[in-house]
Parts: sequence; structure tokens; C-alpha cells
Amino acid sequence: MHSFSWVARYAAAALVGYLLGALALPALAPLPSASSSTPLSRVGFVLREQPLAPSASWSALSADLQSVRSLLGSPEREAFDLVVAVRGLRNAGHTDWALAEQICRGLAWPRCEREPLSQLKALGRP
Amino acid sequence: MNRALEKRWLGPLLVLALACFLGYARARNQRTQFVRATTGLSNAERSALESVPKLAVANAIWALGSEAAVRKMLRSELDRLPEAEGPARARTFVRFGIIDDNPDGQAAVFFQACVCDPSLCERPSLIAATEREIRARLVEPGRHLPLYLTSGHPPPP
Repeated sequence: MHSFSWVARYAAAALVGYLLGALALPALAPLPSASSSTPLSRVGFVLREQPLAPSASWSALSADLQSVRSLLGSPEREAFDLVVAVRGLRNAGHTDWALAEQICRGLAWPRCEREPLSQLKALGRP
Repeated sequence: MNRALEKRWLGPLLVLALACFLGYARARNQRTQFVRATTGLSNAERSALESVPKLAVANAIWALGSEAAVRKMLRSELDRLPEAEGPARARTFVRFGIIDDNPDGQAAVFFQACVCDPSLCERPSLIAATEREIRARLVEPGRHLPLYLTSGHPPPP
């Protein structure tokens, strides 16, 4: 019984410590700045390479997406939202078809069904 | 009493601190994947990457946008692209030529494309470039070879 409580104490400490480090600290600490890396270049990299990445990387990208979006005027801003939805940049690389269709209809573009949106995705990286 | 407490809690506290560090290091490593991928690039490489979002937007508008949206985007692209980016400007002129329904207007913009990118001054390469852009356009207007290229309209003076 004594050894069980000893093991439980260490296991709980390890678990709490790991969760604290993995979840709480990154949420409070800003991303490290690297001189040649900019939000535009990171979003450009993801659009061009469509990399496989852990969900934490995609979460960190959302501030970059917001930053790039703020540089654009309408209707480029909405078109950018469409590209982001089709390429799944806010969804760990998975296309959000419903959102893409909604944005496309908001732009009043001629064709917004799944098929042309799929073709848009398949057209290739810029 | 203090020694007993230390003995009981010091070990778990050390484990907690170590686990906290490991968790943070792993999370930080994952969060910074895109930062690391774009660090240490040359100016030219960074500049190329930074132009990708606007290029992606332009391509999306070209693929699915209404005629008005396309015209607005093309004007904005010509304002944005420096003279040094000849092929990109030429592509923009080719797109203008595709959606322009007037053969004289088409002749003028295709001539501009040739000025920006001399490889497009030969008719077969201009037609090939135009066909590439037509394939990337998914809605009308702009899904057919322009009259200027099908009828052999004389080049502008």
C-alpha cells in the first residue's frame, strides 16, 4: 500500500508536469521570433508545400493567417478565406467544404458547388 | 518533520519540473515547425514565399471568380507586380486577353504579354500559355481561346 501511494505520487507529478508544460506554458508564451521568418512567408510555405504537421503547428498558424488576412482588402480577403478553407489551413490540412461553399456564395461567384471547389483544390499549389 | 516532508515531496517535485520541461520542449518544437521551415532563407527565397498567398488568391479568383472580380484582381496584380517580374506580369496580361471580348483589346494585351515575357512573342508559345490559363479557369467567361489567337488578327503596330 505504501509503495502504491509512492508510485501514484510520482506518476501524478509526471502527468501534471507534462500537461502543464505541453498545454499551459505554450499558451502563455509567444512563439519565438526568427529574423527571416514572417507570417507571410509561413503562410506562403504552407500554401506551397502543404506539409504534414502536428496539430500544434496548425494552431500556431492561425495567428499568421489572421495577420495575412489583415493585409488584404475586399474581395481578396474573402478569396483568401476561401483558399484557407479549401486548403484546410485552419483545420489541420483538411478541407472545410461547407465553409468554402458558404464563402464562395458570399462572394456571389458563378459556381460554388463541391465539384468546382474540388477542382480549385486540385489545380495545384501556387 | 521537515526532512520527512522533503523526502516525501522533493522527488515528485523534481519529476514534475522535468516533465513540465519535456512537455514544453515538445509542444514548442511542434508549434514552431513552420517557423523553423522558413528561417534562414535568403532574401529571394523569403520574397518568393511571401508572394505565394497573394498568388494563391489571384489564382482562386481566376479559377472561380466572376468577370468583375477577375478584372479587379488583374488590375490589382498589375499594380502589385514589379516590372522585374516579367513572366508573372505576362501571365496577368494573358489572363486579361482571355476575358477581353474585343479582338483589338486582346491584341493590345497579348502584345503587352510579349513585352513582359519575350518567350510569348512566338504565336505557338503564346497559344500554349493561353491554353494553360484557360484550363485553370473553371467558369465562364474565359474558357475559350480568344478570337485574336484563333483568327490570326494582325499584331498591333
